[in-house]
Amino acid sequence: MKQVIVHPERCVGCMQCMTACATAHSTAKTLIGALLEEPRPAPRIHVGAGLEDEGFPNRCRHCDPAPCQLGCLPGAIYRAKGSNTVMVDYDLCINCASCAMACPYGVIRFAQDPKAPPGKTVAVKCDNCVDRQAQGKVPACVETCFVNALTFEEPTAAMKRRTSEVAASISLDMAAQRVPLSATWDLQTEMKRRQKALDQR
Amino acid sequence: MGANGNGHKKGEFSITQDAQAMLAKAERDQVETVWDRFQAQQPSCGFCETGLSCRICAMGPCRIDPFGEGPQKGVCGADADIIVARNFARMIAAGAASHSDHGRDLVETLTAVAEGKAEGYGIADPDKLRALAAEWGVEVEGKDELALAGALAYAMEEDYGMRKKALQYVTRAPAKRQEIWEGLGITPRGIDRETSEMMHRTHMGVDNNWVTILLQGLRNSLADGWGGSMIATDVSDVLFGTPQPHASQANLGVLKEDHVNIAVHGHNPVVSGTVLQSVEKEEMVAAAREAGAAGINLVGLCCTGNELLMRAGVPQAGNHLMTELILVTGALDMMIVDYQCIMPSLGEVAGCYHTRMISTSDKAQFPRFDHREFHPETAQGTADQLVRDAIEAFKNRNPDKVNIPVEPMDQITGFSIEAILGALGGTPEPLLDAIKDGTIRGAVGVVGCNNPKIKHDYAHVTLMKRLIENDILVVDTGCAAVASAKAGFKNAAAKEWAGPGLSKICDAVGIPPVLHLGSCVDNVRILTLLSALANALGVDISDLPVAGSAPEWYSEKAVAIGAYFVASGVTTHLGPMPPVAGSMNVVGLLTQGLEEHVGATFAVEPDPEKAAVILMQHIEAKRAALGLNSREVPEALKAEAAPAPAAPVA
Repeated sequence: MKQVIVHPERCVGCMQCMTACATAHSTAKTLIGALLEEPRPAPRIHVGAGLEDEGFPNRCRHCDPAPCQLGCLPGAIYRAKGSNTVMVDYDLCINCASCAMACPYGVIRFAQDPKAPPGKTVAVKCDNCVDRQAQGKVPACVETCFVNALTFEEPTAAMKRRTSEVAASISLDMAAQRVPLSATWDLQTEMKRRQKALDQR
Repeated sequence: MGANGNGHKKGEFSITQDAQAMLAKAERDQVETVWDRFQAQQPSCGFCETGLSCRICAMGPCRIDPFGEGPQKGVCGADADIIVARNFARMIAAGAASHSDHGRDLVETLTAVAEGKAEGYGIADPDKLRALAAEWGVEVEGKDELALAGALAYAMEEDYGMRKKALQYVTRAPAKRQEIWEGLGITPRGIDRETSEMMHRTHMGVDNNWVTILLQGLRNSLADGWGGSMIATDVSDVLFGTPQPHASQANLGVLKEDHVNIAVHGHNPVVSGTVLQSVEKEEMVAAAREAGAAGINLVGLCCTGNELLMRAGVPQAGNHLMTELILVTGALDMMIVDYQCIMPSLGEVAGCYHTRMISTSDKAQFPRFDHREFHPETAQGTADQLVRDAIEAFKNRNPDKVNIPVEPMDQITGFSIEAILGALGGTPEPLLDAIKDGTIRGAVGVVGCNNPKIKHDYAHVTLMKRLIENDILVVDTGCAAVASAKAGFKNAAAKEWAGPGLSKICDAVGIPPVLHLGSCVDNVRILTLLSALANALGVDISDLPVAGSAPEWYSEKAVAIGAYFVASGVTTHLGPMPPVAGSMNVVGLLTQGLEEHVGATFAVEPDPEKAAVILMQHIEAKRAALGLNSREVPEALKAEAAPAPAAPVA
């Protein structure tokens, strides 16, 4: 089954996945329309800054067993039938935040949502864009990611590609130098690294 | 959590004691600063950082995938080279427009003076007026000062237009340099014309050769350096006086607890010069005393501060990243701003204190400021009223919130080219001799801004310290100049920081090892000086053992300055990486390819220790090429901890 796979080394930190995610979870499904909505739709993916202020897209791993599901006493969190997606039943959710405390990745937030009872704050998290997938679309974060830091594919395919990359890097250079991804990104990363090195003095 | 390095404490955002103290107070007072907002912006968008995003037209916005798998062309078909070149060129255009519009305001003021419509302004340097009139080919015969001013202003207005094949000031450059510009087709023709053409060429579907886009970028920058900025500096000298050496002071310690404190912030002396006249009026001082103050204390910030400092010795309170922190002292009664580099956050910071915030330019307004527009016809009255309002604000000052954290640092300032030549006895020969025999290895202009990406003032101070201790004369302007003054590189004791050769020259001529040349438009004083030196030696600017550096730059204006330095033959170091990494072709041209065409390139190196080595190697190579004695520069200069801020001179 296809999953969203994160390739952090490719993230350029543009945060476009966040706006695309919020838009996908709005009623309007357009950016401008979403901005005019009340409640304002919330992103389920969050781009954080790493040690060198590089971007990292943080999203739900849909763990199995899922600590959030185990911690949810009202039983609002469940795994959708026929998929690996961990979902929240907004009617049962009591906004107690036990799931957020249990989540090792900090990807459960609390907000009002167009699909929840009006005025009720509920746990919101990645739903793998089930609605979009039902329409034959890929998840919104993947669609908007121009640099393929997020891909939607069979995990086996991604792992095979990774294995090939590692193998190629070893065969290309016995010193095990990695294959340069992009001259542009290597230069930009190098300059940022030098900039950050100054701070560590 | 820390911006700018994880786990950093706020006190580590700056090397200066006054900033560290005010950052701690800002945290107690719950004031948000530029560093908080910088942190909130991380990670910054990699498309924008590399120059690979394009918002020029509405078929887009577009971006190019730097990894090569996603889109490699915008909707119009522009590739990474075109997009990066267009974005960089538009930065130059914005910078050139800013300096040149500043210059235009001065020319308009000169016109108003000539027409007798500008109370409070006059001709402060009639000698310079006459010299400029002669240079500009203005008929001098039978004209009084005001008529001459009017005719000069008229001639300068022509340089803003399209009547000419070359700007007047181009003739100040060495003949070889002018030939290079002609050969490349980058001789600037009209100040506004080049900016206008730059915007035209980067419109969708016009110039799509990344090389010619960048060449027009250079021409646009030359229209700034040898046009708008040069006019700004020269007309400012005519209206407000050509700077001469003055003793003054720097850092937040220039605020006085028992005085009404007024700060001027921005760039144009048209406003700050008038405020200076107002605070000196006896009736104003009497009113301040009546309100319980000991007097009125005018201080400067950023470049308008540099303008007043250079000409009148008005103390300099701080540079770009100090403009929020000066409000945190709780001791500032009024801040009067004109334009450029004024953070829109200032009004909100001032809301935590009693400080009155005043905007003055018809083209620059800010949230939570009172807008009091300055016009030459009414400037004096407007300034008088503002000073009265500042005295009123003083009465609202809350003594419990006041903290002036340091004692001021002494500095000597005011080194216009005229003043430098004066100190040398009227001729550049002594300076040239010292360079020829190697007593001084060369000179570097350290200029530009602050940037929260770099620990405040760290790069300026570290680089300048390394250069002067290795016998390289430093001239500085803008925010860099404030950093060096605060570090103590510009007072009588500063020669202790200098190497033996430079120290000897400092003693002989009676100058500090770092010479303050003024504000950021005053970078053109460097061009004028280098032209004079090159002409005296019969060489081009690119042959001289000199370099430029903007170790903490942030603004589009700095890009324009860097570009006109390079196009004029001065190899220029940049600290922060400009947004060009998206195109290796553009990077290659800027950092290598330009060498064979203009005899200079950009060099990017965030670390000032390494930058010092790069600049010294460059200077020694230029010395060797001139047949002067030359020495090896070790790859790493002696390893020493980053310089602590010098102890303030009480």
